[in-house]
Amino acid sequence: MKFREYEAKQIFRDAGIPVPNSVLITSPNEAAPALSIVADNVVLKAQVDVGGRGKAGGILPANADNINAVAAELFGKTIKGLKVEKVLVEEALEISHEYYLSITIDRSKKMPVILFSKEGGVEIETLAKERPEALRRIYVDPSFVTLPDFIVRNAIGDAPKEIGKIIRNLYTVFIAKDAVLAEINPLVMTPQGVLAADGKIILDDNSLARQGISENRDLAPREAEAEKHGFSYVELDGSIGVIGNGAGLTMSTLDIIAHYKGKAANFLDVGGGANSDRVMYAVRLVASMPGVKVIVVNLLGGITRCDEVAKGIIAAGISQPVIVRLAGTNEAEGRRLLEEHGYRMLDTMDLAIRAAVEVAQ
Amino acid sequence: MIYAGKNTGILVQGATGSQGKFHINLMNEYAKEIGSAGVVAGTTPGKGGQEVFGVPVFNSVIEATEEHDIGASVIFVPAGGCGDAIMEAADARIPAVITITEHTPVHDIMRAITYARSCGTRVIGPNCPGMLVPGECKLGIIPANLCMKGDVGVVSRSGTLTYQVISELTSAGFGQSGIVGIGGDAVIGQTFSEVIDEFHADGRTKTVVLIGEVGGNLEIEGARRAIDLGMPVISYIAGVSAPKEKRMGHAGAIVEGGEGDASSKIERLRALGIPVATRPSQIPELIHEVR
Repeated sequence: MKFREYEAKQIFRDAGIPVPNSVLITSPNEAAPALSIVADNVVLKAQVDVGGRGKAGGILPANADNINAVAAELFGKTIKGLKVEKVLVEEALEISHEYYLSITIDRSKKMPVILFSKEGGVEIETLAKERPEALRRIYVDPSFVTLPDFIVRNAIGDAPKEIGKIIRNLYTVFIAKDAVLAEINPLVMTPQGVLAADGKIILDDNSLARQGISENRDLAPREAEAEKHGFSYVELDGSIGVIGNGAGLTMSTLDIIAHYKGKAANFLDVGGGANSDRVMYAVRLVASMPGVKVIVVNLLGGITRCDEVAKGIIAAGISQPVIVRLAGTNEAEGRRLLEEHGYRMLDTMDLAIRAAVEVAQ
Repeated sequence: MIYAGKNTGILVQGATGSQGKFHINLMNEYAKEIGSAGVVAGTTPGKGGQEVFGVPVFNSVIEATEEHDIGASVIFVPAGGCGDAIMEAADARIPAVITITEHTPVHDIMRAITYARSCGTRVIGPNCPGMLVPGECKLGIIPANLCMKGDVGVVSRSGTLTYQVISELTSAGFGQSGIVGIGGDAVIGQTFSEVIDEFHADGRTKTVVLIGEVGGNLEIEGARRAIDLGMPVISYIAGVSAPKEKRMGHAGAIVEGGEGDASSKIERLRALGIPVATRPSQIPELIHEVR
């Protein structure tokens, strides 16, 4: 789950990372009072979670003379499909240099990595590709609670010393928040010193509960509902409903539907150890999507038991045809139950998917 | 031997939960069928003294190791306690730890894997189906009825997709020398290359089947290792048509070179001369090609 800029900056401020003065507002009439607290010259920054916010008109400069008009303009906007509901009123900065700083996880090395560049403010992917030597990568032993001095020195090189303290504090945020990314881009040099001019924190979705977050707000409403039942779910626009267990097998099912020139209506992974209630809910959810003509259930038992799956399919009692492929733990019992209730069960994944594509056509 | 053998005594951590019980039973049914050591002990804090299908339960790993010869542990504990469970097994110097649990916090896993390495413990998973060597041992949840003894080594990031591949192999007459699920999380213990090293050292694998997905670049590293070792390898990568997975953000993509999607991964594998199946049922014919 992602934190918005204003949330990230509050976390930075609490952790001792210097950020520009700012006030969050939720309506245009709060803008002028906010300006009087913040600075004579400000920027209004729309708190929407999209890339390229600035270019899309989500960041506007303002002063005491035009603040009301600029605020009204920004609150009236929809940026890349998202309505502007929150705006950060932040002091305009006099920037002499921009740096890039982030801490993330390197999958191959299984370690946190600090990424630092003296050339910030550019597209960081472009920099990494075209001038990789300009991006320092310093790996951190994950058992470190705080950063040892040599790591900080290696990260900053000849950049200003005060950045070292920011790196230490950013690492504390990264650990304390169970983050998979803590980024400051750009980190800017100003007459007041070095400041985090923008911030981004992405939390590990598996750690939300212990971070005291009960709902992942990045999920669409139906996805969130689906998640409560223990599966991952994405809506697509075809006519073949898909239910699988395990992300790999479900992805593979979508790939084979495409291979036979069919179109999948969704991606639904019921997850490990799905019981009959969860399967029933999954079948009903997929069947309720408009345009679903047939559902293919492709399940291999491991931690999932085939008899539980069969009971769930039967209990769902939906009107569209369900074509089933089941194999694995308690397979014989699952097969017996389904056949008793007249469901079409095919022996292989390819056959079941091809049959579903034919029914859909 | 691939991480464990016929005589390896297995510990199950999280033995008294529903998944733990269910799979202790299945593991020991298979052990009985093939005459291997199977699960010899279980742990659940506070449940010491109980039994699960005749297997004694201890309060801690160290207590279990005092009374039993344990060569590997299989973890079914809930996600929040999983990192701890891995470290407890490593602390007791258990050589191999197979972590089935899914949805584990990534920071816990990074820390646990680092600690385990310092103890000489190898971690497989988390979020994996475990491993099975037909006729020798089963550690985890891979359905034994799909497997057959042979000379194809299967290594995969997926769970159920692995079962799919095994059943395609078995029905085409290709038995398996070992099946290892390394797990689908961003941070995992043993990777493709390390498992391929293990297949190579074991000496009974003639062809490697490498099953990958979108995200990361572990498949490419693994394929290169197999080539270096002179082992024929074929691959299947899931997710060509799947909606894009949630990304870790830009910085994560930088570290991984921004080439984690299925299509570019397939291109890179083919550029290395590795046949890549377009669907799992095609795998057996590709094995014929490389033999």
